[in-house]
Amino acid sequence: MSTQTSSAESSAGRPNFSRAIAFTIAAAIMLIPANTLPILISDTGGVARIDTIYSGIVGLFESGLWPLALIVAIASLLIPFIKLVGLIVLVIAARRGPSPHAKPLTRLYAVLDFIGRWSMLDVFLVAFLTSAVRFGALSTVQPGIGIAAFAAAVVLTILATHAFDPRTLWPQPHHRSTTSSQ
Amino acid sequence: MALSDLVDEHSGAPEAGLHPRFTCRFCGQTHRAVTLAPRQRAQCTRCGLTLAKGTRFGPDTTSALVATALILAVPALTLPFITVGKLGSERVGHLFSGARALWLENMPLLSLWVLLCAGLLPVLLLGLLAAITLPLRMRFQKSASWENAVRRLAVAVAPWAMPEVYLLGVLVALTKLGSLVDVKIGPGFWCYAMMSVLTLLAWRNFYLGPDAEGRSRP
Repeated sequence: MSTQTSSAESSAGRPNFSRAIAFTIAAAIMLIPANTLPILISDTGGVARIDTIYSGIVGLFESGLWPLALIVAIASLLIPFIKLVGLIVLVIAARRGPSPHAKPLTRLYAVLDFIGRWSMLDVFLVAFLTSAVRFGALSTVQPGIGIAAFAAAVVLTILATHAFDPRTLWPQPHHRSTTSSQ
Repeated sequence: MALSDLVDEHSGAPEAGLHPRFTCRFCGQTHRAVTLAPRQRAQCTRCGLTLAKGTRFGPDTTSALVATALILAVPALTLPFITVGKLGSERVGHLFSGARALWLENMPLLSLWVLLCAGLLPVLLLGLLAAITLPLRMRFQKSASWENAVRRLAVAVAPWAMPEVYLLGVLVALTKLGSLVDVKIGPGFWCYAMMSVLTLLAWRNFYLGPDAEGRSRP
């Protein structure tokens, strides 16, 4: 968060959203391979499975572990989606200058900032499963390339939130002088 | 009003040498610092978000939390995390086994990332918080610029230190694994869980710190 002031404002004092936009677009692109490529290739006692994010959740649900399915669905599907939509809304609103809806938008920013990290859940889940299930021929779990794309997408959405300065939503009376902060 | 140019981003912290005036990190509203009573909450007058909370347990809370978490970090990183058994054979997994497995599966970058988020950065964050809050004056003379640099580094590291997310990931994985193999939770796991919670509390306590806080200056 410390980089916001310097990075989100151009030298002319006008807010610059190119970094936030670039990170958001990159995250949106990365989410495509993340959701279509396999994240987990498992072989338990002869039963082979290739899971994408979605099929993994369905698998959890079908084996009766619906609370887990819900947690993973929120972390892996809902949060990245909310973050992308939220970031787009914020950038569009802030580009128009100080917004009449600044208060709810700032709240939205705080929420996006808080929920972002929880998307890493699926990455950690795959890492831990891979390490815990290594039993030679009996059962193996391998990470699929989709999980790397997903991790990249999550990191990019977090970077995008950090690149966005919510202060651009508000009128700033001291705009000219804030650059002399050190 | 002239002072308000000097923006202290991290004004929520204890020992911040808090500026008499600072701006809201969400909307840029200028505020005057005031002292908060226990449990009192300082909210920005303009955007309404919480800037700080009054401490319930006194000024040493952060140092106490950080010290405990640092002590717990040692067993969390070294003791067995889980023991997985199937058909007689047993394997011991450590905290870093997940990252190691990804490395062995030819995903070195992802492996490094998991290692950082789950293990190294939380410890680094604790170390930085300790450097600021613990009264260690043995080697460095705490100069204001040194402390400011550490503070900035802590703020930069904090978003990427996510032990609590790793913890949830492990819990989900364990539940899923339960049907496949015998899993026993080791002492390393419990230490890590405690460490995660304490790190979270320490960071919140530091960031929404006690003592001097922002109240509205209309």
